[in-house]
Amino acid sequence: MRRSLGVLLVHAFLLFGGVLMAFPFYWMLATSFKSPQEALQAEPIWWPERMKPQNWFQAARLGDSPLWGGLGPGRSLELRFPAPEGGEPPRALVPRTPGAFVDPRAEGTKVEVVYGEGAWRIRLLNTTGEAFRVLPLVVLWPKDLPLSPPLPPDALRSQGAFWRLEWVNIAPGALGYVFHNYLEAWRAAPWGRYFFNSFFTALTQVAVGLFLAALAAFALARLPFPGKEGVFVLILATMMVPGEVLLIPNYVLLARLGWLDTYYALIVPWLASVFGVFLLRQFFLSLPQDLFDAARIDGAGPLTQLFRIALPLAVPGMISYGIFTFLGAYNALLWPLIVTQSPEMRTVQLGLQAFVQEAGSDYGALMAASTFVILPVILGYFLAQRQFTEGIARSGLK
Amino acid sequence: MRPYPFPLALGLGVLLALAAYARALGFFPPGGVYLALLLYGLLALWGLRYGAVYGLLLLGLLAWVWPWAPVLAVLLLFLLEARRLPEKAQGAFYGWLFVWPFLALLLIWQVFPTLYAFYLSLFEKVNFLRRAEFAGLENYAILLRDPLFWRALGNTFWYVLFTVPTGLLLATGVAILLNLRLAFQGLYRTLFFLPYITALTAAAAVWRWIYHPEFGFLNWLLGTPGLDWLNTPKGVFALLLEPLGLKVQGFLAGPSLAFLAVMVMSVWHFLGYQVVILLAGLQSIPKEYYEAAELDGASFWQKQRYITWPLLSPTLFFLFTLGLIGAFQVFTQVYVLTPTGGVLQDTLTVAFYLYNKGFRDADFSYASAIATLTFLIILALTLLQRRVLERRVHYEA
Repeated sequence: MRRSLGVLLVHAFLLFGGVLMAFPFYWMLATSFKSPQEALQAEPIWWPERMKPQNWFQAARLGDSPLWGGLGPGRSLELRFPAPEGGEPPRALVPRTPGAFVDPRAEGTKVEVVYGEGAWRIRLLNTTGEAFRVLPLVVLWPKDLPLSPPLPPDALRSQGAFWRLEWVNIAPGALGYVFHNYLEAWRAAPWGRYFFNSFFTALTQVAVGLFLAALAAFALARLPFPGKEGVFVLILATMMVPGEVLLIPNYVLLARLGWLDTYYALIVPWLASVFGVFLLRQFFLSLPQDLFDAARIDGAGPLTQLFRIALPLAVPGMISYGIFTFLGAYNALLWPLIVTQSPEMRTVQLGLQAFVQEAGSDYGALMAASTFVILPVILGYFLAQRQFTEGIARSGLK
Repeated sequence: MRPYPFPLALGLGVLLALAAYARALGFFPPGGVYLALLLYGLLALWGLRYGAVYGLLLLGLLAWVWPWAPVLAVLLLFLLEARRLPEKAQGAFYGWLFVWPFLALLLIWQVFPTLYAFYLSLFEKVNFLRRAEFAGLENYAILLRDPLFWRALGNTFWYVLFTVPTGLLLATGVAILLNLRLAFQGLYRTLFFLPYITALTAAAAVWRWIYHPEFGFLNWLLGTPGLDWLNTPKGVFALLLEPLGLKVQGFLAGPSLAFLAVMVMSVWHFLGYQVVILLAGLQSIPKEYYEAAELDGASFWQKQRYITWPLLSPTLFFLFTLGLIGAFQVFTQVYVLTPTGGVLQDTLTVAFYLYNKGFRDADFSYASAIATLTFLIILALTLLQRRVLERRVHYEA
């Protein structure tokens, strides 16, 4: 009895801690689905409108495609607001708000408001001859009429005798509605290029760095050569140097080489990984010497010994190295910030940082961008959970 | 038969390659490279008598026009001749061949820059427009009287003082509980671990949103009845210490809790890493010890005190060292949460100050002085910590 109570207590503690740890992720995800007004509520909204399934069906009926919406040339869209007849008619307009995420072509939309079949109907007709994807709409709805919009508005404000209903996009389609913030955040910056840069940098660093570290570690662990002690002491001493000491001299070096704002600047300075040499050396030292003697008798040179015998047995070490180098490169902010200027050379983290500053108060889009920036690593974690945690744990070996 | 002077040839090749790179970077007077080339050429010519081997070294002469030539020469040499060498020379040859690429990168991008940082710090404000004047240790003299530097150092000190013990305490607790092999263990581990692999930029963006002064979740939480005492403009530390008669001055007493916010976020972010490392440490403790202790009737707490604590101390020591070194590099959280260094610079850390001086004010020599001094401080702290703490650490025999 006492024991099960203890277990329960432990579970309660861990669950509380876990929820506390995961809360920022939930908040990021929830906010990434919020409309601007929802995001700026003083009272937090736990489950935003765009995450409610009943709204998805409504959204699927709006716009040309049920999934992605949009309004083609000559096409029209009708919104039904069930209400009794009489009284002041509602007004509708396509707003002309200057903003980051507005499609200026939407202004050529014709708006009609008519009554029929027990509902006010707002008809939007695309007369521009061009298709557009984002069609904002503002409806002024008399306060004395019951309010039942076909799709929950992104913002609802009071304006005199009217409710002011605002939609960021009234032709969204189901996915376009749910992932509105993601689409806008993705379109606001060259994320494809950023992702390519980040992945290219990180993967090159992993591949080349691993190769160089394996060579050096094998020589230090298995080959006798004059000056070995000296090399080892030098590597040990380098471990004491904190990264920030290298910022300025390496920047100057790159500037003199004319390598600033190139992939070289992002990759080359971090290829020599002392951590990798130590890790792999540890692995190679633990292998029995007989293995290598046998190979040598069979006529295998040191290169063959390294690539055919030692490396296949050091796969866990290689995975640890790969994970750490990849995480370090993918998540780095300071170094890319210093050595790159042009948008073509910027990495995901810099893109996000710039986005945080530019998007300002559009927290929905901001959190959407944050979500897709961390998504590759999180997915990688779930795919290779065991290697991930073991890799991290191995970094603690002495 | 004369012994092959391979180590000599290789060593010279390496030196020459480095010289060629240094020349390409504009560090070296041309004369130095000419001298090296001459030596190398003589060696190569002298080697011609021994066959095609040294002919290849002649390729190294091209280093002047094309810096990759020595690399290519060494590689060709290896491909053609390595197997024909006597065994001892072969060992040395392969050893150096394998270490050399790594070592060259290490020398160019880590060892040399460390020295170069010190060299840069000896000049007056370095910029690319005019020749820098030699200033001796003047930058250091200014640095030691710079109140912002001391503030940054103090902040970093506070950061260590808060995040390292808090993080280690929490992580040890969580790791011990996770080590009990409960149901849902994997889920808990994932929950605790995820923040660590999340990019700091994204995480800090979320936290910035949670900390938002008007619409942030935290303010709503602190505004709820029962918790609203936390939301005082005085600052939590001042509030906690005032009843004890302590007047807090300086870093955390001000109206802004920004730095505390940064620290809380950092603890959250690094907790998973510490938990995973500590879990690995816990799992390496042999089960027999606990079983033996149980036979002797030891309680849960006694087992923690007399088995877990001493056997975990190397891991804790490792994490402590790591936290200390990490604290001096805290930049990303600060930069994203408080891009200007906070109100009255109350979130300024050493790395952030270095970045400000070097890349915002473009004062490379002053920033280099900061870097060098930081390096010395870290070195001193690490050595001190080794002396003081390591004696209490129990390494298993």
